Amino acid sequence: MNEISPNIIFVEDEKQIRRFVRSALEAEGCHVFEADTGKQGLVEAGTRKPDLIILDLGLPDLDGVEFIRDLRGWSAVPILILSARSTENDKIVALDAGADDYLTKPFGVGELLARVRALLRRQGKNSEGSPVVSFGEIQADLSKRIVTRRGEPVHLTQIEYRLLALLIANPGKVLTHRHLLREVWGPSFIESSHYLRIYVGHLRQKLETDPAQPKHLLTETGVGYRFQP
Amino acid sequence: MNIDSLVPPTRAGYHKGYGWALIACIFTTLIATPLKEHLDLTNIVMLFLLTVLLVAVKFGRGPAVLAAFLSVALFDFFFVPPQLSFTVSDAQYLVTFAVMLAVALITGQLTAGLRRQADIASIKEQHTRALYEMARDLAGALTIAQVSDIVRRFLLNGFALDTVLLLPDEQGDLKPIAKLDSQLQIEQRFALIAFDQGEPVEDYTLSGYGYGAGYFPLKAPMKIRGVIVFAPNSKNPDAAREQKPLLATISSVVAIAVERLHYVEVAQATQVQIVSERLRSSILSALSHDLRTPLTALVGLADSLALSRPPLPAEALETAEAIREQALRLSGLVGNLLDMARLHAGHVTLRKEWQLLEEVIGASIQLLGRSLANHRVRVTLPKDMPLVEFDAVLIERVFCNLLENAAKYAPPGSLIEIAGNAKGGSVEVSVCDHGPGFPPDKQGTLFEMFVRGAPESATPGVGLGLAICRAIIDAHGGTIDAANQPEGGACVTFTLPSGTPPTVEEESVA
Repeated sequence: MNEISPNIIFVEDEKQIRRFVRSALEAEGCHVFEADTGKQGLVEAGTRKPDLIILDLGLPDLDGVEFIRDLRGWSAVPILILSARSTENDKIVALDAGADDYLTKPFGVGELLARVRALLRRQGKNSEGSPVVSFGEIQADLSKRIVTRRGEPVHLTQIEYRLLALLIANPGKVLTHRHLLREVWGPSFIESSHYLRIYVGHLRQKLETDPAQPKHLLTETGVGYRFQP
Repeated sequence: MNIDSLVPPTRAGYHKGYGWALIACIFTTLIATPLKEHLDLTNIVMLFLLTVLLVAVKFGRGPAVLAAFLSVALFDFFFVPPQLSFTVSDAQYLVTFAVMLAVALITGQLTAGLRRQADIASIKEQHTRALYEMARDLAGALTIAQVSDIVRRFLLNGFALDTVLLLPDEQGDLKPIAKLDSQLQIEQRFALIAFDQGEPVEDYTLSGYGYGAGYFPLKAPMKIRGVIVFAPNSKNPDAAREQKPLLATISSVVAIAVERLHYVEVAQATQVQIVSERLRSSILSALSHDLRTPLTALVGLADSLALSRPPLPAEALETAEAIREQALRLSGLVGNLLDMARLHAGHVTLRKEWQLLEEVIGASIQLLGRSLANHRVRVTLPKDMPLVEFDAVLIERVFCNLLENAAKYAPPGSLIEIAGNAKGGSVEVSVCDHGPGFPPDKQGTLFEMFVRGAPESATPGVGLGLAICRAIIDAHGGTIDAANQPEGGACVTFTLPSGTPPTVEEESVA
């Protein structure tokens, strides 16, 4: 965690969930500001200079997606959504609106803290911008466009490289199919999700120890992909 | 609308016309007699010609011809010398008679023709107006019964024709819409011929009231919607034959009305379905939210107990862990029940996309995480495995359920094998373990809800897993089967239709 204790805003209408999340985050040294409605959450977000916002999608007063769109109008603070999995679509819409990651209810404290740490770490890292990223047996130097596996160079096609660079530029963040297709292939490929699957498959063949059970290029079924360093 | 205006003049009307022609000629003779001292015979001829013209205008051709001959006869008898005798003294009068007769006949003929055409035009105009009014009424009709009623009333009043609408029911039999007149016979086979061939069937003696009925198909723009039967009654037995063009027009107007009502019904049914679908999905997601919220609190609170500082005594820690485990199990159960409710509600909307099987298998193994920790999983897929079109979230659910079952029943440390290959028109995937296998007596019922391999055993579960798998695979148009391997262990095999995978353009090598 950062040395200065980060400010976290938690927007959730269920009191007991607020209680355990607050105590878990405070034990990690965070300042937690609670809000039980979306409107209050937006007010808190405007006044508390938050480092992270945790948002329940099922708020009684405001649609979670509206909250995210409103917030993204004036702030780039990371957003972690909590959703009671009913359809994948809610998550996709929230992620496309600008949320960074999601957690499905019910979740354990361990999972929550791992996601929070990842998002806070990324928040801190953005300014450093180290061009070399290491994960597993792989080292990727984004400034030189060189990827090596156990020291041996790995040949990637242009599209494979673009896809990999986009994923590792957003560690821990879920990138939706649409987002990846638009950024790597262009807007006309948004409906051609099989391209994405095939190229992620290629990347796994080249970069993962066991491509069938990947450790770094993770599938978020029905939603998108996530790079896990 | 009244009958007289549409039906041509009757026999009685004709007879009356002849009587009036006679009276008119006698009247002219009576008027002309006192004037014969003052008038030339030529002018008296004019009076008779005028009479013939008036009779023609008023009563038509027949009476006009009668009047023409009568006029010549009366003129000869009363006015041409020698009077009161048909003999003619001066031969030139024969020319007068001939010219007079010819002029009378020709004017009578022409005038009567004009009169007839005017009559026909007027009748046609009335027909058109009546047809228009009927069409307008049909456009406003809200039920098939109203359509049937409007047509029936129109034809019964105007043409002495009875009408029956026959529409196909679910079995394809043609059924009358309204109750039939007990004397009216409908020949189902004529109706069927008209319905199947789309051409009118005219049967002039065999059915209806015994005067011959016409069976007209209801040809609407989309398809033939039924048959309309026109049955003349004793008032005008030939009506169906006489009015054939009109009846064809009526048939198409009725067909359009029936088709319109059909689409109104379709639209209403869709509306109802959308509303109930929306209701069901909002109930399910509210239920999902309401059940998961307390479960989330339970899991989280148990976690924070376990993590509390100073640490809890070992026994309390174990309790906290147990609460967490049970809550998670309950949550899995809720998930299964809600999925089952969604799948069983019918109309599952599949979000089908072309997928790599390997990826979904990997994601399922990842998702199960700790529950699979005690087993090894081996995935065997051919290198050239094609893309398969399916809903990834649901198929992931299938793999999770099958792997979970395998992990539950097979002994720790044993191998779970997933294998797939493309065969003909489908892709076959199997998940096999090295556990005790399915009990042989249960194999037929395994995929039913709430059937468990070992009832009341210590192994947790309610027997929804395989039922959900089957519902999902069924929705994809595939098959699912369970069997025991010869060397021991359970094996579930499912297939998915392979279809035609989209082409992927090779990237130009940089």
